[in-house]
Amino acid sequence: MFQSGIKSFSLRQLLPATKLCVNYKNPLICASIQYSTKSVDPSKNVLNNLTDWETLSEKKKISKAMKAYLERAKEHDEFMKQQQIEYNIGKRHLANMMGEDPETFTQKDVDRAIEYLFPSGIYDPAARPLMKPPEEVFPARKAAEFDEAGRPHHFLFYTGKPNFFKLLHDAADNLQQLYNFQDKVIRKKATPDPNGKLELGSSLWLSKDQLEQVLVESISDLEYDNFKVVMERLAAFPYSYRYKDFIEKYRKPLVSQKFALEIPKPSYDDEGRAFVTTYECLRKDSRGDVTIRSPGTGKITINGKDLTYFEDVQSREQVMFPLIFSGMQDRVDVECNIEGGGPSGQSGAIRWGIAWGLRSFVDKDMLEKMQVAGILTRDHRRRERKKPGQPGARKKPTWKKR
Amino acid sequence: MSGNLRFLNKSITQSLCVLSRGYARRTSFPDYYQNPIFRKDEQSRLIEEGELSRRAKLPVKPPTVYESSSVYHDPLVNKVINHVMEKGKKQLARSLVEKAFENIKRKQIERYHLASSPDEKAKIELNPKDILHKAVENSKPLLQLTPIKRGGITYQVPGPITERRSLFLAIKWLLEATYEKEKQVHFPEQFAWEVLEAANNTGKVIKRKQDLHRQCEANRAYAHYRWQ
Repeated sequence: MFQSGIKSFSLRQLLPATKLCVNYKNPLICASIQYSTKSVDPSKNVLNNLTDWETLSEKKKISKAMKAYLERAKEHDEFMKQQQIEYNIGKRHLANMMGEDPETFTQKDVDRAIEYLFPSGIYDPAARPLMKPPEEVFPARKAAEFDEAGRPHHFLFYTGKPNFFKLLHDAADNLQQLYNFQDKVIRKKATPDPNGKLELGSSLWLSKDQLEQVLVESISDLEYDNFKVVMERLAAFPYSYRYKDFIEKYRKPLVSQKFALEIPKPSYDDEGRAFVTTYECLRKDSRGDVTIRSPGTGKITINGKDLTYFEDVQSREQVMFPLIFSGMQDRVDVECNIEGGGPSGQSGAIRWGIAWGLRSFVDKDMLEKMQVAGILTRDHRRRERKKPGQPGARKKPTWKKR
Repeated sequence: MSGNLRFLNKSITQSLCVLSRGYARRTSFPDYYQNPIFRKDEQSRLIEEGELSRRAKLPVKPPTVYESSSVYHDPLVNKVINHVMEKGKKQLARSLVEKAFENIKRKQIERYHLASSPDEKAKIELNPKDILHKAVENSKPLLQLTPIKRGGITYQVPGPITERRSLFLAIKWLLEATYEKEKQVHFPEQFAWEVLEAANNTGKVIKRKQDLHRQCEANRAYAHYRWQ
């Protein structure tokens, strides 16, 4: 009943592209047409000019391109306005359906409602139902790139991708400047400052999708590779700090490490010992929880047995790894419950659980050391699936000429 | 219709690029993950250089299941175990190598007690891992022969060898020498014997290395084919 109810208003929201692609049948053409959501200003200007009959009669002629652009912009604006109205109505319906106040119904509530009303078992986010404001669903469009006479503003307009090639142009220009600067430095017989080198370890180049969003242009894989090559070359230059802003603009910081944040405060049991329990210790098919008690004597309990729960030495070593590394092997007690998977997966899960729980009992220096050692990183890797037509995940059949 | 769907997908993934492709199980770590540094000596070197807190900000891969910071962990021994291993039976391979170490230790202790003077006793190395290191170091070739075809004739041309390949050859030769044994003799005994011989700069492996060196010397005249 809910589904049929929601269909009446939100189908267009849920499948927003249907209407757009009726207008422009080929998606490729859709992508190449460029018009603006913020086209109000140029259109106003032009309309002002239109009413100004004297200037018009002189010789200010609007080019066909501009006319077509204005038409498209108007159409797009109307389309977006319509979408916005539909979105607002849909939101109110959704709020009523969920029994909440439509005035204070936020986007977060919308997402929650959609998740509740359309439970989806599909993994791919692109295939899940969604309801978002239209400006998020429909990517931003470029403003007019030419004046009324049809003359382009940008000197690289005829490359087809002016923003992208401007970026490469700027990068090459900066590189040339750096070469000149280097020549100057060499002539003065100075050496580059080793501390001035750009620190790029904690950030990455923008991904292709992100770069496309920044440039408002779609680029090919080859073009993205070229972008990376040029920027790498610029960043590797000893004097690249002179163009730090330019480089930083196209880099995205890596997700900050959360190991040092949210360290739980230990609780206290009946005997007055501090303890921390880590749930959801996962590795391969194993899953379990690890409790660390301090002070202790180094007693390890795995599913009610001691370390001999594991028959092979390698797994035992893995369990002891974080304890020995942090020097806590005879200062804490460890209790684990683990199930699923084999010895390697189980010992890996316990290793991570112990390391994660030890954060509450070690100092900051040791925390950094543990991070550098990698024992605080969750090993999320899973077995790669076998592919049809070949004997394994990557393995190909033996090559035969005939 | 499919075109429409593709466009729909594209527009949504563009707006939700944070979420996109988050559903797939990853089978490996991305490139920007750093290799872990967990050995005590390497870590203390990092601290000396003041690199530690900088590196702590970066994402790091977890150490693999066979690595550990324990003092008993030795990368070379691990390598040898992997060479001995067949069909993924690591536990068996490890037990064989450890049994060989035990045999080495027994032989050396016997020799130690047979030695008459303290000078002789001091010379005898008792740690089997050190002996293995010495044996591999002694068996590493310095040159290699590469077949190069010139004018329809294949010449064996001597040239330099990489560190990696010489290590590979040393371990491979040690094991090949071990496998040339009577059926009654077990692997650990023969392997212990070969390692002790190689550590002493005698035996089949060392002879094989010297043979290679001799042939390289004999083929010196062809060396220019490497670049001509």
